[in-house]
Amino acid sequence: MRSGRDPCAFSRMDLFTRKKVQPTEPILIPHGELTFLTKQEILMAHKIFSELQDRENGPYSSRVSMEKIHTLPELKSNPFRKRICHVFSTSDMKDGSLSFEDFLDLLSAFSDSATLEIKSHYAFRIFDFDDDGTLDARDLEKLVNSLTGETDDTRLTGEEMRQLISNILEESDIDKDGTVNLSEFQHVISRSPDFVSSFKIVL
Amino acid sequence: MELKEFNNQVHPTPDYPSPYSSQHSLRLRTVPAQDTSAVQCDWASPPEDAEDSNEPQNLRELPLHMSLKRAVWQVQQMKVPVVSSSWNIKQSKTFHRFCEVAKYILSYFVLWKRGIQRIGGHFGGGVQSYFLFLRFLVILNFLSCLLIAAFVLIPSIVFRSMSFNSTITLTVNLTDIETCLQYDPKPDPLMVFFTYFLDLVSGTGFMEYSYLFYGYYNNSVIESNGFSYNIPLAYLLTAAFYFLFCLICMIIRMGGTARLVIVTGGGAVGGYSMLVFTGWDHGLQGDRATKLKQNNLRHRLQVDLEEERLKKKAASLTLGQTVSLYALRVFLNLVVLILIGATLYGIAEATQFSQSRKTTGFVGLLLQYLPSMVITASNFVVPLLCDKISLLEKYSPSTTVILALLRAVFLRLVSLGVLLYTLWEQITCKGEINSENCTPCNYYHDQYKCWETRVGQEMYKLTLFDFLITIATLILVEFPRRIVVDHCSCKLTQWVGRQEFLVAPNVLALVYSQTVVWTGALFCPLLPFINTIKFIFFYYCKKITLFQNCQPATRNFRSTTSNLFFLLVLLFGWMLSSVVLLYSVAKINPSYGCGPFRFYTAMWEVVPGAVEMLSSTNKEFLFYIGSQKFSIPLFIFSCVLLCYVSALTSVHGKSVALLKSQCKLEQRDKQFLVRQIEELNATMQKLQHEPQQPQRETEPFYHAATQWNQHNNYAFDPHEDPKPY
Repeated sequence: MRSGRDPCAFSRMDLFTRKKVQPTEPILIPHGELTFLTKQEILMAHKIFSELQDRENGPYSSRVSMEKIHTLPELKSNPFRKRICHVFSTSDMKDGSLSFEDFLDLLSAFSDSATLEIKSHYAFRIFDFDDDGTLDARDLEKLVNSLTGETDDTRLTGEEMRQLISNILEESDIDKDGTVNLSEFQHVISRSPDFVSSFKIVL
Repeated sequence: MELKEFNNQVHPTPDYPSPYSSQHSLRLRTVPAQDTSAVQCDWASPPEDAEDSNEPQNLRELPLHMSLKRAVWQVQQMKVPVVSSSWNIKQSKTFHRFCEVAKYILSYFVLWKRGIQRIGGHFGGGVQSYFLFLRFLVILNFLSCLLIAAFVLIPSIVFRSMSFNSTITLTVNLTDIETCLQYDPKPDPLMVFFTYFLDLVSGTGFMEYSYLFYGYYNNSVIESNGFSYNIPLAYLLTAAFYFLFCLICMIIRMGGTARLVIVTGGGAVGGYSMLVFTGWDHGLQGDRATKLKQNNLRHRLQVDLEEERLKKKAASLTLGQTVSLYALRVFLNLVVLILIGATLYGIAEATQFSQSRKTTGFVGLLLQYLPSMVITASNFVVPLLCDKISLLEKYSPSTTVILALLRAVFLRLVSLGVLLYTLWEQITCKGEINSENCTPCNYYHDQYKCWETRVGQEMYKLTLFDFLITIATLILVEFPRRIVVDHCSCKLTQWVGRQEFLVAPNVLALVYSQTVVWTGALFCPLLPFINTIKFIFFYYCKKITLFQNCQPATRNFRSTTSNLFFLLVLLFGWMLSSVVLLYSVAKINPSYGCGPFRFYTAMWEVVPGAVEMLSSTNKEFLFYIGSQKFSIPLFIFSCVLLCYVSALTSVHGKSVALLKSQCKLEQRDKQFLVRQIEELNATMQKLQHEPQQPQRETEPFYHAATQWNQHNNYAFDPHEDPKPY
C-alpha cells in the first residue's frame, strides 16, 4: 500500500495539510492526528531519522536497520531495545528495521501524552519475548534477567528466580492458567502510578 | 485442542493483528467503501464512539501500525458525516486544538523542566522527586512573598516615604508603661566594615531597624480622600492568608498523590508484579545510569524476597526468641529516646546561654549562632547513631528505613520546638506575667525591648546558618571527597566511595527550612523572599554536586509513597508553626516600643476593632458566620459528605472484587466450553468417519459451529472452502 515511497518526500511537503503533489502520489495524512506527538516533535523525529538514514550506505533506503536505531542515545543502553524494534517494525523480513512511520509509532507510544492503554498494550508486546500473546514463565524469566542485568554475577539465583516468578504469577494471574494475558497485565499496570512517567522516551 | 488455538479461533480478532494478514483482509474489506461499520468493529479497539468528534482521539489510541491507522483514517474520511451535529463537532474540535496549543505554550513556563528531566534520566525517580519537591517550595515561597509584598511591604514603603499623617486612637493610659516605650535601635552611622558584616549576618544593628523585621512597621491607619488602609490589620490578615494559602497548596498537591496511593493500595498488594512490570525507566540514558538502575532493581527484588523469607522465619520463632527480640527493641527505643532527650536539653541550655550573654565582636557572633550550631550538629550526629542502633533491632529493611526517617523528622521538628519554647520562657518569664521582670509591660522588657524582632532575628539566623552549612558542606566535603576518591586508589577510599545522594535527609532539610520560614514569617516579613533565593541557590548547587560528585543511592524509596510522606511531614511542620502563630497572636502582649501592634493587649485585638467600623449589615453577616448557628450545620454537612465519599469508596472496592471473581468464572466457562467442543468434535468424527469421502477435518467443527444451539450461523457457509485469513 505504501511501501517503497521515498521518505524524503516528507521534507518537501507540509505534514499537516492534505496536499496532492502529483496525481499518482498518495494523499498525505496529518500525522498529528494519528500520533500523540506535537508538530515540533514530529519534525525533530524526522530530522533524527534522516541523519540515521544518511549514515547508511547507498541511496535513501526507506528503512533504517535495527543496529542504526540502536545507536540513538535514548536507546543505546536500554535492555529492551531489540524487543522495541521488533514490536514496532513492519518489515517483511522481520529484521527489526524501522521505517519513518514505524519510528513515529514508537515515539508516539513512548511520548508524554500517550494514554495508559496504549503504553500498557505496547509494554505487554515488548515483554512478550516469544510473541505468543501471553507472558508465561519463560517470558517472565527473560524479563527479569533484562531488568537485573544479563551477566552471570548480576542475575538472580535460580531459587530466587523461582520464588519471584511464582509470586508474580500468584499476584497477577487471575484466571490461574499459568500465564499473564493482556487484560491481567493491564490490570496490574493500572494500579501503578509510576508507569506512565517511566514508560517515556523523549528525544 | 489447546486453549490458545481456541482463543485465536473463536475471537474474530487476534489481540494485535500482524500487518501482513490484516493487509490482505483490509483489501477485502475496503472494497465496499461505504460500509465502514465492519472496519470499525473488527479491530480490538476501546469502546467505539459513534460521534465523529472523538475520531482523532480514537485513532491515536488504537494500538496499530501507522499504515493501518492511516487506512482507517482514509476510510473514515470517505464516510459521509452526519449532518445534524456538524456544528457541535467543529466546536469541540476547535476546543480540543485550543487546549493542545494552550498546554504546549504553558509547558514553556514550567520552571526548570529540562533540567529536572535530565536529572530523572540520569539518576532515577527518587532523586527527581527531591528536585520536584524543591521546585514546589520555590514556587510556594515566591507566591507568598508576592502576597506579603503587595499587602504589607509596598504600602508601608509608600506611606513612609510620603509621610502621611496617621490617625491612631490611643485609648491606653501611657503613664504606667513609660519604660516599655523605650526602644531605640537606630544604627550608628559610622560603622566599621567588620561590624557591618556582623550586623548583616546576625540581623542586628542596621538590619534590625529595617523592613526586614517586625519592629520597623508602623501602626498607622492611613485615611485620605476616602481611601483608608489599616496597616496593622493588613499585617495580621496577610500573615493569616499566607498560612491558609500554603495549606491549600499542600493539600492540593497531596490530593493527587494520596488518591494514587489509595487506589494502588499503598503498593503492598501486587508488589512483585508491579515492580517487574513497571520498574524499568525508559528515560534513562547512558550505560552508567542503566547499570545503576539494574543494580537498584536487583537489590530491591533481592531485599523483597529476603523480607518474605524473614517473615516466614519470624512467624516460626519460638516464644522465648520472640520475647527476647521485643525486649531488645524496647530497650533500644529507650536508648534512642534518651539520646533525643539529651539533644533537646542541650539545645535549651544553648539557647538560654546565648540569650543571656551580650558580648560583641566575633565571640558575640559565635554566641548568637550557638543554638543554630547545636541544632545542626545534633541533626547530623543523632540520625547516624539512630541508623546504627536500628541495625541491631532486626526489623525488615523497609521498616528500618521508615523508622529512621520518622526519628530524624521527630528530632528536627522537636528541636525547633524546643528552641521556640526556650525563647517563650525567657520572653514571658515562664508564663508568669506578674513576676518581677515582666511587671510593667507583660513581657521581659529589659532584655527584649522588641521581642518580635528578636524572635525574627533567631529565625533569620537559623535560615542563614542552614544555607551557609549546606554551601560549606558542598565545597569543603563533597568536592574534596570526589577528588580524593577519583585520584587516590587505596582501599580505604574505594570502600568509602563517592558521595551518595540520599534523598530522604535532603528532603527533611528542606522541610526544616520551610518550617523555620513559616514560624518566622510573622516577625520577619521578608523571610519568604530570602528563602526563595536560598532555595534557588540550593537547586543549582545541588544539581552541580549531583552531576559532579555523586552516585545514585543503591537503595531508594518508591518515589510516590515517599512524596506523600514528605508532604505529610511538611504539613506537620506547618502545624507546628501555626501553633506558634496562633499563640503569639492571641496571647502574648505585643511590644510597646515597636511594631504595628503597639498599644494593643494582643495582636488579635485589631480585628474586632476593625469589624466594629464596618457597616451594620456586614457586621451582622460576619457575626452570623462566626456563630454557632452557622458552624454546627456546616460541620454536620461536611460529616455527611465524608460518609458519602467513604461509602462510595467501599462500593467501588466491592465492585472491583466482584469483577475479579467474574473474570475467574469466565475463564472456567471457557475451559468448560473447550472441553464440550472437543467431545462434540470427537463424537462427530466417529459418526461421520467414512474412508471414501474426503472430508476436511475442520468441517465437522464448522458444522458444529453453524449449528450452535440449533441456530444456523450464516456467516459460515459450510460448503465454501475456508480461506486462509
